[in-house]
Amino acid sequence: MRLLIIEDDPKLADFVARGLRAERFAVDVAGDGLEGQRHLDAYQYDLLILDLMLPKLGGGELLKRVRRAHSTLPVLVLTARDATEDKVRHFEAGADDYLTKPFDYAELIVRVKALLRRAPVERTDVLRIGNLELNRLTQQVRRGDQRIDLTAKEFAVLEYLMSSAGRVFSRTMILEHVWDQSFEGVTNIVDVYVRYLRRKVDDPFAVKLIHTVRGVGYCVREAVQE
Amino acid sequence: MNHRSLAFRLAVWYALLLSCTFALVGTGMFYGLEQYLRATVRDSLRRRTVQVEQILQQAPEGASNDAIAAAINTRVAPEFNNRFVRVTRAPTTPVYLAGAPADHSFDPAAVPPERNTWPTKTVVRPVATPMGQLMISATPIETVSGRYLIELGTALGPIEAVQRRLLNLLGLMLPVLVVCAAGGGYLLVHWALRPVERMSQTAAHISVQDLDARLPVAATGDALQRLSISLNHMLARLSDSMQTSRRFLADASHELRTPLTVIKGILQEIAGNESASSEVRERVGSVLEEVARLEHLVSGLLVLSRLDAGDAQRESVEVNLGELTASTVEQMRLVAEDRGIELQPSALAPVMVRGDRGRLKQVIVNLLDNAIKFTPRGGLVSLRTQQRDGYGMLEVIDNGIGIPASALPHVFDRFYRVDEARSRAEGGAGLGLSIVRSICVAHGAEIEVDSVVGSGSCFRLKFPLPARIVGFPAAPLPERTAPIRDPSPIRPT
Repeated sequence: MRLLIIEDDPKLADFVARGLRAERFAVDVAGDGLEGQRHLDAYQYDLLILDLMLPKLGGGELLKRVRRAHSTLPVLVLTARDATEDKVRHFEAGADDYLTKPFDYAELIVRVKALLRRAPVERTDVLRIGNLELNRLTQQVRRGDQRIDLTAKEFAVLEYLMSSAGRVFSRTMILEHVWDQSFEGVTNIVDVYVRYLRRKVDDPFAVKLIHTVRGVGYCVREAVQE
Repeated sequence: MNHRSLAFRLAVWYALLLSCTFALVGTGMFYGLEQYLRATVRDSLRRRTVQVEQILQQAPEGASNDAIAAAINTRVAPEFNNRFVRVTRAPTTPVYLAGAPADHSFDPAAVPPERNTWPTKTVVRPVATPMGQLMISATPIETVSGRYLIELGTALGPIEAVQRRLLNLLGLMLPVLVVCAAGGGYLLVHWALRPVERMSQTAAHISVQDLDARLPVAATGDALQRLSISLNHMLARLSDSMQTSRRFLADASHELRTPLTVIKGILQEIAGNESASSEVRERVGSVLEEVARLEHLVSGLLVLSRLDAGDAQRESVEVNLGELTASTVEQMRLVAEDRGIELQPSALAPVMVRGDRGRLKQVIVNLLDNAIKFTPRGGLVSLRTQQRDGYGMLEVIDNGIGIPASALPHVFDRFYRVDEARSRAEGGAGLGLSIVRSICVAHGAEIEVDSVVGSGSCFRLKFPLPARIVGFPAAPLPERTAPIRDPSPIRPT
């Protein structure tokens, strides 16, 4: 899989590229619109990550050209503008997804994988991590042979965390997935729900499954290497 | 009528000035006329006196009183001319006394004799008689047949009648004139102030959100026109500077986002790298928490700059405030319980308002968040929605620490914190309530805050009700309904 990042901020481009390479993607970086255009003309890419504010050739204009030349190439747009009308405009111009700065690294990976149809698309009805089992159909959660009763929101949070074992989900990601934008940054609502989840899912058991990565977020995984 | 208004005061001044002028002119006229009339009477008395004097001078020595009387009756005809004539020979012999005048304005017999028994020259004085005042001139003369005193008089009644009529006329005209002046002045000022009224009406509709409007220029070519033009220039400068500051806010928030992404991304990489030591990861985590706060602040600023740009009401749909509150309370309940606070959606009557559902929810979340932050463990936050006094009301009442009166006017200001240390510990950026205000302003809603330090606060939002209330026919439609605000057009910054 070959990806192209067109981003004028070298540090941002660098860390995004590094993260994607760690996920075993081949990544090219272009620093402005024209260079990006040359890359697009020269190679065959599977995904384009495009910053909208670019020198020489703007991201919006480039997006239109990309749509004319490579109609199936998935495009993930990065931008600092998150007004609704901006989003609508760029979706109309042909963006497949949209990520607002400052985004979470984890979220970028999730979005990229989703666009490449390699993501947790295989929607299994039963998620299993360790002896924790979540049934999406019956809305039931078991640990070992013990049934755990969760509220609807607790269930939603756990389901999201379990959708990708070992992946760290940021508070913002959880908030946007389970709640809506009204709660953004207002409360420690995510922490409260995770605490309640822990009380039910982890506290009665010796092996802890829900982990906190300080400053980043939460993840569910079987074993801790530390 | 407003007693301090320019029109009222000018009208009063007009009336006062005019009545003073009128009183002065009237007094002058009254006395001037009196003087003129009396001078005319004196003149005529002198001419008659001369006639009588001639008769007496021409009378032969030893002429009888009857002959003199006959001559006077013929030539002066006092009865016919309504004159009083009395001729006395020195010292006190009556020679002639005219009969009653044709108009019966006085009784000659009742006229008292000359006070100064024998004046040395002509004396003119008013004399009171039972039937009214007489003007009498007494003239001493010397003839060959002896010394005589000629008294000639006329009633002052007609003069007084003329004066009375003048007085009546003036008295009648004064109030009419004053009323005309006051009313005319009032109308004139009103008319003259009409362009100012129009300017003030337009100015009242110009808000910080809408500085593009301009005042109507009064084409009067005077100070008024200059005033409207300079006000418009001021508005233009104000609008420019507002736009600059908004653009700065939006640009700054945007520009901060790219470096924030880099900082956050690289730090998250380290924090998630399991080969790094746990001490390093712990420290990086601590920095990341600060980054999250910065991020929250930047996004809050961006939200505000977008609200400023007219994005506070993206849609205008009917929203049931009661239902929206109930569902939001359910979502926040756990957060409140976590802090030992009970949420009590005590009276959530269905209230239909018009607006942006997402933004309205944000208002409720921010108010609840605020109430929860400033209520101690064991406290109670209750919510009420109801239709009252023609408003759709939402109240969030807590029994928390309250807000001091000096801080009340500022709680909606950006970055304002009542208690710096406490708010910071709660992680607040001081933007939540100003976001609430921006959204409320865009929805035409009023905000009231009552608070007592130590016993709690009440935030009350008053939304204008839509003219038509759908789905709740049982709810009484209030008489007074505010017009529905159109969704504000989205303007780029």
